[in-house]
Amino acid sequence: MKFYKDHYDVIVIGGALAGLSSALMLADKGLDVLVLERHNLPGGIATSFVRGGIEIEAALHEMMSIGSKDNRLKVGKFFDDMGVDIDWLKVPECYHASLPGIELTLHPGLETFAKEVDSVVPGTYEKVLRLLNLCHTVFDSVNELSIHPMSKVQMLMKHEAFVKTAGYSTQEVLDTFELPQKALDLLAPYWIYVGSGFKDLPFTIYSVLMADYVGYGSYIPHRFSHEMSLKMAERAEAMGVQIEYRQHVEKILVKDGKACGVRTQRGDEIHADYVICSAYPHKVYTSMIEPASAVPAKAIKMVNGRRLSLTAFSVILILDKTAEELGIKDYSVFRGDTMDTDLLYEDLAGLGPYRYLTCICHNLANPDATPAGTCSYSITTLPRVDGWKTVTAGDYDRVKHEVAKQMIDDMSAYLGVNLLDHVLEIVIETPMTVNHYTGAWNGCIYGFAHTMEDHIVARLQTAEEEHFIDHLEFSGAHQISGDGMGPAVTNGRKAAKNVLDTIAKEKEAAAK
Amino acid sequence: MKVKGFLKDVGGASRVTRARLAAFESASATPEKTDPIGEASKAWHPGRLELKVAQIRTCTKTSKTVRFVRADGGELPYFYAGQFIALEFPMGETIISRPYSLSSAPYQARGKEGFAEITVRRSKGDGFVCDYINDTLKEGDTVYGTMGCGQFYYEPLRDAKNVVALAGGTGITPFASMAKEIAHGTLDMDLTILFGSVSSDDIILKEELEACEGEHVHIVHVLSGDEPGWTGERGFLSADLIKKYSKGDTTYFICGPQVMYNFLHGELAKMDIPKRRVRFEVFGTPKDITRFDGFPAEEKEAMHNLTVVRGIHEDVIPAKAAESLVVALERAGIRIETACRSGECGLCRTKVLSGHVFICPEGDGRRAADKEFNYVHACSAYPVGDVKIKIPIL
Repeated sequence: MKFYKDHYDVIVIGGALAGLSSALMLADKGLDVLVLERHNLPGGIATSFVRGGIEIEAALHEMMSIGSKDNRLKVGKFFDDMGVDIDWLKVPECYHASLPGIELTLHPGLETFAKEVDSVVPGTYEKVLRLLNLCHTVFDSVNELSIHPMSKVQMLMKHEAFVKTAGYSTQEVLDTFELPQKALDLLAPYWIYVGSGFKDLPFTIYSVLMADYVGYGSYIPHRFSHEMSLKMAERAEAMGVQIEYRQHVEKILVKDGKACGVRTQRGDEIHADYVICSAYPHKVYTSMIEPASAVPAKAIKMVNGRRLSLTAFSVILILDKTAEELGIKDYSVFRGDTMDTDLLYEDLAGLGPYRYLTCICHNLANPDATPAGTCSYSITTLPRVDGWKTVTAGDYDRVKHEVAKQMIDDMSAYLGVNLLDHVLEIVIETPMTVNHYTGAWNGCIYGFAHTMEDHIVARLQTAEEEHFIDHLEFSGAHQISGDGMGPAVTNGRKAAKNVLDTIAKEKEAAAK
Repeated sequence: MKVKGFLKDVGGASRVTRARLAAFESASATPEKTDPIGEASKAWHPGRLELKVAQIRTCTKTSKTVRFVRADGGELPYFYAGQFIALEFPMGETIISRPYSLSSAPYQARGKEGFAEITVRRSKGDGFVCDYINDTLKEGDTVYGTMGCGQFYYEPLRDAKNVVALAGGTGITPFASMAKEIAHGTLDMDLTILFGSVSSDDIILKEELEACEGEHVHIVHVLSGDEPGWTGERGFLSADLIKKYSKGDTTYFICGPQVMYNFLHGELAKMDIPKRRVRFEVFGTPKDITRFDGFPAEEKEAMHNLTVVRGIHEDVIPAKAAESLVVALERAGIRIETACRSGECGLCRTKVLSGHVFICPEGDGRRAADKEFNYVHACSAYPVGDVKIKIPIL
């Protein structure tokens, strides 16, 4: 029996957001694409599941880079351009900050946000707005430069703020604003979405984060992230992409220094001109490349010289009362007993109690998220993989329950309601869960940490030298744009663009 | 615009690039191959395993207990007491798979000598797999199994510590697993099992259950048959009986045949129990789908063509309207992954490319977007006309 064509233009390993974005873009250019996904549905962690008859979001808190219908940002525009029609719901606020001495809900819009900060830290409006505007300027530059690269001199003239802040950590730039601690605390909660403490986080990344989320607000698909993943997959198939689920790719075949196909666990050898891979480089370079000798030492050093970033631990509760009855007022609450992000980052290396939690009540952005009379409430921390690496299979259940209980108790104390008295369903997602469903290396969902030693600007400048095997592209959180569902789309598009550029280059060379 | 000074500011991009390259330069060139999180994940969910029948023993006059070990000699996965195993039996050209709750305890699966057991009763007429297990399966045979499936287990962050189990017939198996784990001291809960059987000489796992009795495990046998000399409880698992053995905050776990569920829905409704305190195990494929509202009467005996797409390959196989897509595929020897066979777990998620299917209205566990795009769970979808589906290549 023959299940595959003799040859494809491109094989995409991994049918999550990055892989599907690559597939859409390549199919749009007329290429013949095969997507191989290990799970039985698309999306990776951008998915949902049903428990006790209730559909539950697996991972998405809020999507960045979507924008409103009349003012789409890059990811929202990509979906529109590709004909992926998602029923976006706007998240009503940025977040409710529950920090030492602060209980405040902040809303999108740079001026609105600055005013709200000013309402609890009077006299900061001008400075906060200036900071947010600086973030926005850098954000605009990043978006433009990613499409239109230019010389350093040109860059300095046209993108001065971007150039001049590129070499600094978030802390170094924030310090120049001389803001009171309380205002700085209110400007920090989103840090967890990029996962590095401010002494290590490039200001460039902080700028993009703040300008995007605060400037334009965030969105969720009405029918959970599975709606997004499925609509991407359906659209790709309609454009001629072949998607096969339950396929574990074991080997990437390399011949004469060029990727030329894959072999699956069930033994199918499938050939293609290009391979785009969402598996972590750790796994690819240590066990997937065939022959192994095609992996240069430089590739291993590149992996070893970088730090794996965060994984995820979520307690998802379906409660037998409505959000209103339980006194849950905000879609998202960021709660910490300090807002010292460098300290919090250290804390994430352990197994709890975790001091910084992110809580989502879907019903407050999506009223029919759960059946009448109930609501969903998720409590998430994003630990580093370090602590979880020490948990053995035999200890796993105990540790998982201890951590979950602590998180539920913390949020029960905050809400003044014992959440444990209302649990219709509970799902505890751990780093092991992530690994089980996606195969992600050590359950990591954030790829490589954004640090001053692994700066996005540096990643862009050295991208070509880190291309160790011809015709093999990577996509996913471990690529240039880093973690998050919005960046996953960007990473996927970048991989597809690299393929298209190489095709054009090789055609040109052949013509000569 | 100035951060620290013109030269330092404009040199930023070069500075961070040098820092990054320096970090690579000083990094080790030895591949780091360890993925301990992936290893722990695999110890719980290794996927489909080749299993060897290590022992078959008679349980009662109508039931047997089958013990499995890993064919490769490795250790069995971790699981929760109450979960099931999805077993796959090769039978000539066809494949038969069924879920069975494990009647052995999680602790018994540990170590090199670890094992997993199911207890199966010979059926009357239907359920020929049960007969196959009782009559044909022998020690040394090989089967395939995926362990640790399902949501029917005690969850301390959700359930009351006091659990009353309502079991009928082979529905005792998940509770036998729990009772053994509690008696072993590795599961912290109080369990009272109200166990409905027909006659005292056909009580499944009787000795094994009684060996678990103690401070935290109580067994109450309830006989429905008219048996002279029986001094224990009689009749059905009525609201009065359930109340008699409940104390304080209690979670009810229910596992048994469909008729028992129908009866218990009425009894439990009389007791004013919060929804979160009642948990039903799924009960598998309904015996007769044609009896459900909405199933087209004229399709009762109908046969149709089922086109099965796997990759670029297509097969056309016969399919009976009154049997699920999974059954049609297995009859034709085409593998599809299944676990719960009740519409809930979604492992057999399948795209319907064209044609009409009837979805079993009970336990439709599909995602909203999947419904919109015509995905079904093949174990609970019935072809009421010619149908074309796409399934994974296995």
